[in-house]
Amino acid sequence: MAVKKEVAISVQNLHKEFILPQHKNTTFKQTVVNIVKKNRKVTQKVLDGISFDINKGDFFGIVGRNGSGKSTLLKLIAGVYTPTAGQIIINGELTPFIELGVGFNPELSGRDNVFLNGALLGFNRKQMNAMYDEIVAFAELEPFMDQKLKNYSSGMQVRLAFSIAIKAENDILMFDEVLAVGDANFQEKCLKQFEKYKAEGKTIVLVTHAMGTVERFCNRVALLEYGKLDFIGDPSKAIRRYNEINQVAENNGLTKK
Amino acid sequence: MTMKYLHSRNRAILREMVRTDFKIRYQNSVLGYVWSLLKPLCLFAIMYVVFTYIIPLGKGIPHYSVYLLLGIVMWNFFVESTMIGSTSIVARGDLIRKIRIPRYLVVISSSMSALINLGLSLIVVFIFALFNGVMPSLSWFLVIPLIIELFIFAQGLSFLLSALYVKFRDITYIWEIVLQGGFYATPIIYSLKSLPTQYTKFFFINPMTQIIQDARYAVVTNTSTTIWSTVHSIWVIAPFVVILAIAITGGYYFKSRSKYFAEDI
Repeated sequence: MAVKKEVAISVQNLHKEFILPQHKNTTFKQTVVNIVKKNRKVTQKVLDGISFDINKGDFFGIVGRNGSGKSTLLKLIAGVYTPTAGQIIINGELTPFIELGVGFNPELSGRDNVFLNGALLGFNRKQMNAMYDEIVAFAELEPFMDQKLKNYSSGMQVRLAFSIAIKAENDILMFDEVLAVGDANFQEKCLKQFEKYKAEGKTIVLVTHAMGTVERFCNRVALLEYGKLDFIGDPSKAIRRYNEINQVAENNGLTKK
Repeated sequence: MTMKYLHSRNRAILREMVRTDFKIRYQNSVLGYVWSLLKPLCLFAIMYVVFTYIIPLGKGIPHYSVYLLLGIVMWNFFVESTMIGSTSIVARGDLIRKIRIPRYLVVISSSMSALINLGLSLIVVFIFALFNGVMPSLSWFLVIPLIIELFIFAQGLSFLLSALYVKFRDITYIWEIVLQGGFYATPIIYSLKSLPTQYTKFFFINPMTQIIQDARYAVVTNTSTTIWSTVHSIWVIAPFVVILAIAITGGYYFKSRSKYFAEDI
């Protein structure tokens, strides 16, 4: 039999509930009122018992309709949220990109933003100094680095953010909808980068709505629906199932009208 | 190795966040950083005029102007770092919701610019003291442990308040009132000597009283009433116990809540 593959991320019976915002106690008065009235907390189950493994070297897609729990799952894996129950085991170093250009400040120069964002991504000063020129060159923004970021076009901002992001050298990388933000040229750059990652054997987790990308890159796909794992495995089957679900949802919408 | 790596990474984050704070704060102001010195100095000038000529509270205190300035500078640090600290987690919600940096870095970085301001202001105080005829002495260095004590006190409160502020936005209003009361409960503009002696000891439960009076003793005049000359029992540890209790409570509460910051903000 084949050698047992090494697991990069193991998600085990993951549950996540949120307390709904309208019942959140934001002032002391509300807290007191809620205690007196004995209001029960209204919670929303976003993830309801999800388990799966992502193997080392996988290009793993997470798909699902809006509100299916994709982004919550991603934030849990990224360690931004804490699970209500269950656990996530990460075997290796993970860099999550929930958004490109985290911490970018419009009032700072492009240069300062590179160092700020780089630090937040986990690079120290020495590493940043060493790769600053490459980042700027890759973004093709040499003449603009002393300008404030607010004077950049959104395309320029994305290019800068992306140029820093691809410097991340950890063996597990995770992206949320990165392709949704740029123009065709930027998307092409992204796709090329994905190809490079794939060739290098990195573990990639990609949350996306773009089935074309899923088909082109992913070797395994998880499909979420109502916070549950609807399907996991072969990408083409996952896409078919995803389209089915969307079709059903669309028909339901039509009959309601 | 991993520890060392984490350490340099956190240091890089802290440095960049403090740099950002400092650059952003004085954006588009002509005088820029000078304001961080100008503000306490102007405040001091007003108070000096009021409390020397109109309501003379400083009678009989040698070098009252230096005495007053030192008190104001230390109190200002306390106000600035706890006010900015209390809103820091919510203010950096963009980071908290998107990356997993250690949450405490956000609070610490927010108080760093206040600490830099304090350092600059103290230099002004020392220069002012020399002009005022205060003899420089080695005891000036005692300000360093006092600043560390003040910093720990302010940080402890910032951790507590910033975690509370995520859930209860009333905190900043309450804290502003507490600070306003605290300003008068602490002998900043007046002298402890002007109070009935039997009450003096109770003022030292407030760590700010102990810190400011000790700093004045070390820098300005050894006529400053300190906890050491007032309380001669085990109660002398009271302000330190208060600081320790707040730091532990704040740290513990912050740690237990920080897991949920991303979803609660």
